[in-house]
Amino acid sequence: MSPRFTVSGILPASRAVSANERARRDQLEERVVGLFDQFRDPILRYLSGFGLPLPDCEEVLQEVFLSLFQHLDRGKSQENIRGWLFRVAHNLALKRRYRTLQDIEVQVEAGAGEFAIDPAPNPEDQMVNNQTRQRLLAVVDALPELDRRCLFLRAEGLRYREIAEILNMSLGAVSISLARSLARIARSAER
Amino acid sequence: MNLMKYDEHLPDQQLLLDVEGELSPRDEKRVRAHLAGCWKCRARRQELENAITGFVRVYQRESETKLPPVAGPRALLKAQLAQLSATAANGYLGWFTFPRALAWTAALGGLLVLGLFLVRVMREPSRTPIVSIPNSTLTPGATLLVNRPAVCAQENIKNRIVPVALQRRVFEAYGIAGADPRAYEVDYLITPALGGADDIHNLWPHSYSATVWNARVKDALEDRLRDMVCEGSMDLAEAQREIAGNWIAAYKKYFHTDRPLSEHCNRCGE
Repeated sequence: MSPRFTVSGILPASRAVSANERARRDQLEERVVGLFDQFRDPILRYLSGFGLPLPDCEEVLQEVFLSLFQHLDRGKSQENIRGWLFRVAHNLALKRRYRTLQDIEVQVEAGAGEFAIDPAPNPEDQMVNNQTRQRLLAVVDALPELDRRCLFLRAEGLRYREIAEILNMSLGAVSISLARSLARIARSAER
Repeated sequence: MNLMKYDEHLPDQQLLLDVEGELSPRDEKRVRAHLAGCWKCRARRQELENAITGFVRVYQRESETKLPPVAGPRALLKAQLAQLSATAANGYLGWFTFPRALAWTAALGGLLVLGLFLVRVMREPSRTPIVSIPNSTLTPGATLLVNRPAVCAQENIKNRIVPVALQRRVFEAYGIAGADPRAYEVDYLITPALGGADDIHNLWPHSYSATVWNARVKDALEDRLRDMVCEGSMDLAEAQREIAGNWIAAYKKYFHTDRPLSEHCNRCGE
């Protein structure tokens, strides 16, 4: 009779490790979901500036947080999670934009390109506010892409050093870019 | 970081670094000393602060209107995390011994290369989506600082040829880098005849296969708006806004029609 091998000797220990492992992963999942709650809105706002449709931005966002789970699961650096999240989101959005064929047939009837009207009660204020906003949006849209990225990241509260790391620029280049963009915005406000 | 000489005005970059609290203590002291005695630099610093305030207000408002509720995406993430976690817990590393891993990696790599090749070959001919109106995010329109007399004094109002490198960037921005360039004309959103700039934000790939709302129809609108501007019946800025907002709607409005007129579009009946 051929010998029979059983796993009874190792199974209990293996199950014990599994239970610990399960608990660790549950904690990790909770932590990632907590970070999602904290950073979802700022990252989604940042992603929406890439010209991707919103569903694509949401998909990129999911990828970002799944990558975060794997990153943390492998015990990698936890220093500056916010900067890490924005950097991964930035890179994934660039890939998505260049690799995915966008649905660029714009629905004419949907009134693309129109700005929402301010819900201000006074029609004159409404018009002035809307004009100011449109002028500012036009200035921002006309900025070079890197300048826009710097501006949006700064608006999301990232410091110069973090922006430099995310966009792979020098600190000096970040401050020059922001100064240039704000000077243009200031000029538009004078008009 | 080197600062300017004491008697020179501060550049925007230094003022901004001061506003942002990004200066070293030594530079901050020198900048503050300069600001204490220089009204011009103080006023400029205030302008930059106002620009930040103005931008942040608009940025927040624009973003608030765009963001969908978090509940759905949050639930989706939790489900995906549970799945990912289960896959990992089932020991994707346990059976993954080195020789087996090598064999699988080689096999999967081969399949991936083959798959990518097939996808590329099969998708290439269809990567020519019809574009009859630009993406307003990628192409909001950009203008030069010119006034009505300057625009109306132009003799040659034909659109300039867009350099090939810039055309390539437009295709990349629209995600159609692999499309057949012969299927599109890289067109100006705001024509140079109305003060439009040679800028990527003012260019888009207009499909030749858009048989109804094609480039020839848009040319007719451009001519009409320019005539109105030069006659004095429309502001230059208004004409630029009309054509940048939605050129098809503008055509319908100024030619009082729902479809292109036959003299502007000899293929519209197709």
